[in-house]
Amino acid sequence: MIARPEERITTPQAAVIVINYILGVTFLTLPRVTVEAVKTPDVWITVILGGLITMIAGVIMVKLSQRYPEKTFYQYSQEIAGKWVGGLLSLFTIIYFFSSSAYDARMLVEVTSYFLLEGTPSWALLMPFMWVGLYLIMGGINPIARLYEIIFPITLVIFTLVFFISFQIFEVDNLRPVLGLGVAPVLQGTKSTVLAYTGVEIMLIILAFMKQPNKAVQAVLIGTAVPMLFYVMTVVIVIGALSIDGVITRTWPTIDLIRSLEITGLLFERFESFFLVIWIMQIFSTFTITYYAAALGLAQLFQKDIHRCMFYLLPVIYIIAMTPKNINDLFTFADLVGDTALYLFGLLPLILLIVSRLKEGKHEAKL
Amino acid sequence: MKQSYSQVRCFLLSLFVLLSLSLAGCWSSNEIEEVSLGVGLAFDKGMESKVERELREKGGGYPKKDLITTTFQIINPQASGAGTRGGGAAQQKPYLNVSETGDSVHQIVREFSLRTDRPFVSQHLKVIVFGEDLVRRISLEPLTDQMLRDNQIRPSSLILISKGRASETLETKKGGEVPAFRLHGIVDNQYRSTRIMPPMSLAKLEGKIQSGSSFMLQNVIAANREIKFAGAAVIKGRTNKLIGFLNETELEGIMWITGKGSKGGVVKSFDKQTEQLIVYEIKSMKSKITPRVNGSNISFDVNIESEGRLSEDWVESGDPFDNEFLKRAEKAAEEEVNRLVHHVTKKMQNEYITDVAGFGNQLRIEHPKLWEKVKADWDQIFSKVPIKYNVKLTITDYGTLGSKK
Repeated sequence: MIARPEERITTPQAAVIVINYILGVTFLTLPRVTVEAVKTPDVWITVILGGLITMIAGVIMVKLSQRYPEKTFYQYSQEIAGKWVGGLLSLFTIIYFFSSSAYDARMLVEVTSYFLLEGTPSWALLMPFMWVGLYLIMGGINPIARLYEIIFPITLVIFTLVFFISFQIFEVDNLRPVLGLGVAPVLQGTKSTVLAYTGVEIMLIILAFMKQPNKAVQAVLIGTAVPMLFYVMTVVIVIGALSIDGVITRTWPTIDLIRSLEITGLLFERFESFFLVIWIMQIFSTFTITYYAAALGLAQLFQKDIHRCMFYLLPVIYIIAMTPKNINDLFTFADLVGDTALYLFGLLPLILLIVSRLKEGKHEAKL
Repeated sequence: MKQSYSQVRCFLLSLFVLLSLSLAGCWSSNEIEEVSLGVGLAFDKGMESKVERELREKGGGYPKKDLITTTFQIINPQASGAGTRGGGAAQQKPYLNVSETGDSVHQIVREFSLRTDRPFVSQHLKVIVFGEDLVRRISLEPLTDQMLRDNQIRPSSLILISKGRASETLETKKGGEVPAFRLHGIVDNQYRSTRIMPPMSLAKLEGKIQSGSSFMLQNVIAANREIKFAGAAVIKGRTNKLIGFLNETELEGIMWITGKGSKGGVVKSFDKQTEQLIVYEIKSMKSKITPRVNGSNISFDVNIESEGRLSEDWVESGDPFDNEFLKRAEKAAEEEVNRLVHHVTKKMQNEYITDVAGFGNQLRIEHPKLWEKVKADWDQIFSKVPIKYNVKLTITDYGTLGSKK
């Protein structure tokens, strides 16, 4: 049903989708969240570790999806686990996707209304954002992928620029000693860093759209490695500049890093607007891909028209986004969504893969 | 078909009109001429100004304790605009200082909106100066709380301490000068003096406050509407309150210990034989603090190395072409540096019982497990720790003046 030729994406496009999905909200909070868990300057090791674990999970998801060519998770989960269990799993996945898209939308409101557009009501920030998102995903996977291809290089350039500039307040002493208190603290923080990489699960769905599904492993590895690089640079420079004691108290440490320097003689003195612009683009891509994944799931699960599903979801996402009463509620909501992701995409694909292998084995034995 | 065409035209026209309306401005815009651009802040121990007292006597006021007096330095747009054109408004200062007393940092700012039509905007804040009397009484943590929370005040703002009233450092005699910019600019002179600390921004200060270790802040003093950077204030890590000052030479000693001083500074010493003046200009400064741990005994070795130039020589018989003389000059400068570092070490260990030279930091890096044990009362332990200095200065050249007759 989805095999229309224009709905095909190339391998680099698949990788870019994964990259843009992973880079999102956590970008701004990662240094604090990880330092809270690790409490030593070894955070960057934890971030690499989290990336590697995510790569393994991503490869498992790809292997699972490759067994069912041309089919998305919503379709083959019923084949593996039966109509009811599979349907339920799909439903959970759909709920996960639109919840995380609601979370992204709300985060966008929180950050822009504090740092960029103070005084603008939240609905005025949220509605245009959601409408533009809707307009994009109505075109299907291909326009989404092409937009991400435009967003990604811009992100890369501005990010690199901003972080090279930040080197002027970088102090290497803040990152020392390496492994001073042993390996234990590093391992403690792994869960929080793995959560920063939620996004690889999109492979369960976009693999069905890939022109060359056999290259999906490459896509997922590159798609995780690039955010890993971004994340490592972020924690290294933020902690190098602000020290772990300074990071732990800041709500948005990465924004603070950029606000804590001024460059004279480089045309612009301040770079937080640039940085927030690329961040908003990243949030937009995370928001749209999760929105699309949820709508696609609804369409495939209930055999409905996908455009209708998108419109049905629009108010749902808005209401969920507006539900958390304060920023702590929002962070709790994020933890909930993150934990769901751990079970849904960390554990489940492995089980499904084993079940599917066993079933195949039985099937062959019967023959 | 024709009708639909006119409908489209009608639609486009109304769109044009509606969208033009939005061009009028941004949602919550503030015209730049209609806000007070704050560039400097000074916090002092609460002391009501004359105007404030009169206002209060007429019934203006709210329940408060007079803990803090905040002085805002605001750019005066008319005067600074006229000043650039060189007009007759040269008499007018390009800045305005307004003081307000109260007990909450944020409420004081808001109170300001009752006194002027131009609300205070702190997005371009450059400098924050704390007065000695205030920081001796109130910890820096609550004092900076509002500023670190705020979305306007930039964490890049420079933090200074003033021995005396902080508001006095925001005054100047010169016509076109904005005192806050001057304070901010002096920090850039680091390449000319070893008595200027690396800048401490609000963002970095937060890390220092939270770390629990003692640290220094640059001290600035004012006299007769002139200012000078004069040494550093010592902030005790446990309380985040000010406990004392290091004078200019003591700060110089600290800079030698930490190796943070940049090139361009000078060491003035006297030749042993002739008692004449010799000046050594620093071209590079390196220092390595090595903690030595032997059981429960901690000691430190500090290796200071520097290369420099003979930049002034009053010794009549001094002949820089002669290596012997250069050795003598090196020796004299080394002795002076030794004197500086020993003097400030004594002061840290005996008088303030506080480590502000980063010995603890080196111990943390090299012996992290031991540091976890001693960090709670590091300042106490530090005061008894033996420290050995090893100073090596090398004169590489002597400029364009060689031997004398």
